[in-house]
Amino acid sequence: MFLSACSDNRQPADIYTSVDDCTSDNPDAADECQAAYQQAIDEAARTSPKFSSVADCEYEFGPNQCRQIATDNGSFFMPFMAGFMVSQLMSPRSYYSQPLFTSYSPYSPFRSRWVTSDGYIFDGDIRKRKYRVKSSTFKPKPTVSRTISRGGFGSSVRAKSSWGSSRSRSGGWGG
Amino acid sequence: MYGQPYWDETAYYQFSLQQIENDIEDPTAELHQMCLAATERVVNSEALLTRFAIPRAYWDLVHTSFHQREPSLYSRLDLVYDGTGPAKLLENNADTPTSLYESGFWQWLWLEQNVNNGQLPRQSDQFNSLQEKLIFRFADIARQKHIQQMHFACCKDTDEDRGTVQYLQDCASEAGLAADFVYIEDIGLADTGVFTDLDDAPITDCFKLYPWEFMLADPYGEALINADVSWIEPAWKAVISNKAILPLLWEMFPHHPNLLESYYADAHPSLQGREWVKKPLFSREGANISLINGENERTLSDGPYGEEGFIIQAFHPLPRFDRNYTLIGSWLVDNLPAGISVREDSSLVTQDLSRYLPHIIL
Repeated sequence: MFLSACSDNRQPADIYTSVDDCTSDNPDAADECQAAYQQAIDEAARTSPKFSSVADCEYEFGPNQCRQIATDNGSFFMPFMAGFMVSQLMSPRSYYSQPLFTSYSPYSPFRSRWVTSDGYIFDGDIRKRKYRVKSSTFKPKPTVSRTISRGGFGSSVRAKSSWGSSRSRSGGWGG
Repeated sequence: MYGQPYWDETAYYQFSLQQIENDIEDPTAELHQMCLAATERVVNSEALLTRFAIPRAYWDLVHTSFHQREPSLYSRLDLVYDGTGPAKLLENNADTPTSLYESGFWQWLWLEQNVNNGQLPRQSDQFNSLQEKLIFRFADIARQKHIQQMHFACCKDTDEDRGTVQYLQDCASEAGLAADFVYIEDIGLADTGVFTDLDDAPITDCFKLYPWEFMLADPYGEALINADVSWIEPAWKAVISNKAILPLLWEMFPHHPNLLESYYADAHPSLQGREWVKKPLFSREGANISLINGENERTLSDGPYGEEGFIIQAFHPLPRFDRNYTLIGSWLVDNLPAGISVREDSSLVTQDLSRYLPHIIL
């Protein structure tokens, strides 16, 4: 009774490790390659995994694979972008680009694999450069640098639970 | 259709195919479309949004959510049906319906086992495509929204709700979505205005088994406007699940065979000569219901609701089989009727401890 996942709209996507890499594959699209690279770099700065210590970052991504970022709120470490994935580069409407990372750490599930900012690991190793991906692969996640508060949902449920009830129940707000 | 004693493990309700198709499935689809038409009218009317007790600050949120057709996962219409004549809509549990696992999974398993061990005839069937439709709908939503991950949330200390949400997480996983869980009370707000889970990961798409009227009243209500979360169920469910929709339906579709006569409690014709039920706009689990007979009002159940206003609805007793009153929960996944669950109670107002019984079609 379960459906197979054959009906989603996959589209071809290529992984490049540099602007030159992209341009040699798309000689007529040097500007697009440069823009896609820049878009991925910007996205990486926003969404890549962040660590408070270089040791934690290198444990996940390998020796010398991390750089320090200083901000007003202190500094943190993030891995270098290892490549960027583009799709529909020559499409007149819009193309997609997103940063990819890989790991040289023997302790990491990302070792020799392509991985996205939010931890999605592509199949095959980093030698594989052509994929067919769901368009959802390119939907960027919003930025979070820190959570400033918790517990702002749930107070109404507590207020409504305080009334005396003869029914012993495990709770629940379904109807 | 008949009830058997509930202590008998073989107790179940039996329907004919005609009863299911003509009296429940088709009216369910039609009632849902009528509710959507009523919702469209509400989101476009300041007077009705006020009438529905939607706080003014969230009118845009609700209106936008409906006009962008933010996808719905599921809902449950509660119907009074005695086996003959038209089923009557009691209310639309469109925001936080539970007893999903019992209906979608356990009930079907019960049928399979009883057919296999010869307790039920081999041609026994069930009106129940809930699980496959839920999985299909999750895959559909993932495609529409371009997502491969969703959060799922419910309140702490509610085993029943956690069970319902776990079941939906399993359905979502089956559809290829990564399903992360966070308790409603643990949701955080980031410096960038987005909601976060306990790992500080942003919540962008979230199923919540938590009523919209509570979300809007909570301290994080204001943050909803900028947090840009795709909620399931979406914000327009605050309207369609609101009991104020019942009088509006009666106004838009007067004397429809599947509707009970209904009015806003502060604007109704003479109530003489009939019995009426008075319900709060946001009541859940049958709380705060009273029975009106002429000048007399008798409380049937206590509860914390009511400050938001009331509606009255013509009293239509639940059919009684054996010693039990019976209520049909008719499920929809998106717009599609997807099965029924039958609940019994020894009192006239079905509350959430009602016994759950399976059904067969024969």
